[in-house]
Amino acid sequence: MDVSQYLEIFIDETKEHLQTLSDQLLILEQEPENEDTINEIFRAAHSLKGMAGTMGYKRMQKLTHNMENVFSEIRNGKMKVQAELVDVLFRGLDALESYLNNILETADEGTEDNQDILNDLNSILAKGTGAEIPAEPAKETVKQEAVAPANDDNFMKFKEIAISEYEIGTLEKAKEAGQNLVGITVYIAENCILKAARAFLVFKALEDLGEVIKSEPSVQDIEDEKFDFDFSIILITKEDKEKIKSAILNVSEIKDVAIDDFSLQQEKEQAKEKEQEKAEEKKEEKPTQPAMVQAAAATQEAPKKAQPAQPAKKSGGKPVVNRSVRVDIEKLDVLMNLVSELIIAKNGLISIGSSENGAKDGTAFNEQVEYLERVTTNLHESVMKVRMMPIETVVNKFPRMIRDLTKKLGKKMELYMSGEETELDRTVIDEIGDPLQHLLRNAADHGLESNEERIALGKPEVGSIFLDAYQDGNNVVIEVRDNGKGIDTEKVKQKAIDKGTITPEQAETMTQKDIIDLLFRPSFSTAEKISDVSGRGVGLDVVKTNVEKLGGDIECKTVLGEGSTFIIRLPLTLAIIQALMVELGDEKYAIPLGSIETIEDVPLSDIKYVQTKEVINLRGTVIPLIRLDEVLDVEPREQEAESLTVVIVKKGEKLAGLIVDNLIGQLEIVIKSIGKYINNNKMISGAAILGDGEVALIIDANALV
Amino acid sequence: MENINSTQELQSKQYICVKIGTEQYGIDIQYVENIVRMQKITRVPKAQTYFKGVINLRGEIVPVMSLRLKFNLEPDEYTNTTRIIILKLEPQASVGLIVDEVKEVVDLDPSCIDKATYNANDDKSQFISGVGKHEDGLISLLNVADVIIEKDKDNEVK
Repeated sequence: MDVSQYLEIFIDETKEHLQTLSDQLLILEQEPENEDTINEIFRAAHSLKGMAGTMGYKRMQKLTHNMENVFSEIRNGKMKVQAELVDVLFRGLDALESYLNNILETADEGTEDNQDILNDLNSILAKGTGAEIPAEPAKETVKQEAVAPANDDNFMKFKEIAISEYEIGTLEKAKEAGQNLVGITVYIAENCILKAARAFLVFKALEDLGEVIKSEPSVQDIEDEKFDFDFSIILITKEDKEKIKSAILNVSEIKDVAIDDFSLQQEKEQAKEKEQEKAEEKKEEKPTQPAMVQAAAATQEAPKKAQPAQPAKKSGGKPVVNRSVRVDIEKLDVLMNLVSELIIAKNGLISIGSSENGAKDGTAFNEQVEYLERVTTNLHESVMKVRMMPIETVVNKFPRMIRDLTKKLGKKMELYMSGEETELDRTVIDEIGDPLQHLLRNAADHGLESNEERIALGKPEVGSIFLDAYQDGNNVVIEVRDNGKGIDTEKVKQKAIDKGTITPEQAETMTQKDIIDLLFRPSFSTAEKISDVSGRGVGLDVVKTNVEKLGGDIECKTVLGEGSTFIIRLPLTLAIIQALMVELGDEKYAIPLGSIETIEDVPLSDIKYVQTKEVINLRGTVIPLIRLDEVLDVEPREQEAESLTVVIVKKGEKLAGLIVDNLIGQLEIVIKSIGKYINNNKMISGAAILGDGEVALIIDANALV
Repeated sequence: MENINSTQELQSKQYICVKIGTEQYGIDIQYVENIVRMQKITRVPKAQTYFKGVINLRGEIVPVMSLRLKFNLEPDEYTNTTRIIILKLEPQASVGLIVDEVKEVVDLDPSCIDKATYNANDDKSQFISGVGKHEDGLISLLNVADVIIEKDKDNEVK
């Protein structure tokens, strides 16, 4: 079966399941007794295992299988959830994720076995269920086998019995209950005529002593005499081996009996080997997936060594799977409807064009244009909706991250999130993860004090980090807030002077905000020591660049001793915006509506001067004026008008008034880049093509304010 | 000469021969995407002086630079023969060069190209990769990548 066509679905669903697992594990850590959670985890792990198996990713399957075993024990109440267990499970999740990434890039899961995780899982499983640690008996068996001659193994044929998962479960339970597991191979005399009858008597004798779990050949086959002169049995019993042996030998025509303790560990491994063999056989039947066969072959040669050469061969290439978005079918239906309306509108225009009496049709034409406009507006909105994704997809990995940080940093902290359902454009969603992660790490590492310090300061011992997302007009705001120590601006100032970033004189005149802005400069870190988590000095400036690349901006507020807040403001969408078209001299510019607060007509006499800068006092707020024509080197107008048209723009809470010559009107524009060769001075965020083919530049108000 | 030409035909390169002022320049044809007539250029404030602005090329925004200004010659005078040569060095990044006139496409094989000598005093020489001899004239071959991509170091020195 060629499964490659299912790869995309597999990847999508695996991601979902991994996320569920991660979420639920976090809950489980808090509420170890929560049955719903355990069930949910079990289901997710189970489907994951099934899918990985179907796709032929056997390492992934093996790992999930082992994790599932643990969950299954927890679900059956055999085990308690402990921190250690959750840690291992999280490591398992990470490993699964790396498998997934490999698959994403090469369609192959890679060759990392993650044996250590498997071992840890098994030892926890063993400990948790109260059984002996299987590693030890396994060793004993090895020793015994080493001492015993080779033919002894042949003699004890029960060692080759294949045991299913279910039976292992039963055996483990029995072992836990303090019973012995005994393997027996019975040899019947070659001259015996009624083999089945003898075997029946052996079974009868054994049933008095314990419970027969498995026989090889099966009981049915033995009754039908479908065996040679020996058969093997696994028995759960409380009696000792000698007694069993003598009981069997009491049956006449029994030539010999081999009996020994039955080692589960060994059997498990055998069972697994068998499974693997099967899986490999399956794979070899698939000629369409040579890569996997190759990988399987490679594994046979070096089963436990990671082979860096193997993945290296393929990495660097394009991911084999295209990125896909799941779209609600309703949204698609709406799109389809709109497209059909578009066609109707087009037909309407054609019929007007072809009709003879052209003069009369002015109104009909206008009607059609209006109709077309309505359709395109709706179409735009719908397409935007398809592109929108809830921010949840990014932030839902953070609780896990904070949990890990809690362990790593030895600080207790909690992450509170709100507004995960806030929707953002897909391109933004893809890019915003890293900056947010960085800010959260910063908050955890530098923002929050250690627990002792917090107690000493009279703060709650557990530090809090907040991640809030909400929509604000045409923007989406994401706030990362902590209630830690805040930023010591004096320290920052001192550091900046030490580093030569600013002179002491400059430092004197700097406002609180100016100083905080220093943090966003390249290679500026105030952390005294570089930690694993953050503080390499390549932090906030990268965050800022990333956010700005998305057309957003970032600011920081801090109160010493009370915490700091980083506010990221992002545009709802990148591609199409509403803009106000303005005229400066002979040139046309577009100002995004999202950043415009109001438009005012200001008489020249209202302009005041503060520190030789022009300002106006607008309803009690002092707003600095920016003469756009000067900033943009436009040929100035010959005569000053008596009043100025001022477009008030805002960036966060700051306002500024842009003086323009003329207002043209509102227009929906498609933002295009002006290319990378031309020196982009940040004031121009792009260009738009107007209806008549002319190009208008888009003013980035954020850069001016 | 003819014989050598035919044996080395495979290695010869095609250049678009353009005129800027009195000189002829050659632009490697593999970078040329399009040649368009002069059209309205929208000025981009605060850009490098030799960037005249951007144009709308069938729905794409393409920045346009003046080779004259880049070479510190007299500013362009737009005439009927003025053309914008659209170059594409990388996908998604076109750029236009304003030239006085586009003359022809010439085949130059390596034997007719002399390596340019670098002259630190000459602004232009850093953009020339060689001089090709074609019929009677000489064609300065532009090193397109260097012309387009700003070298920050140069700026600082200047």
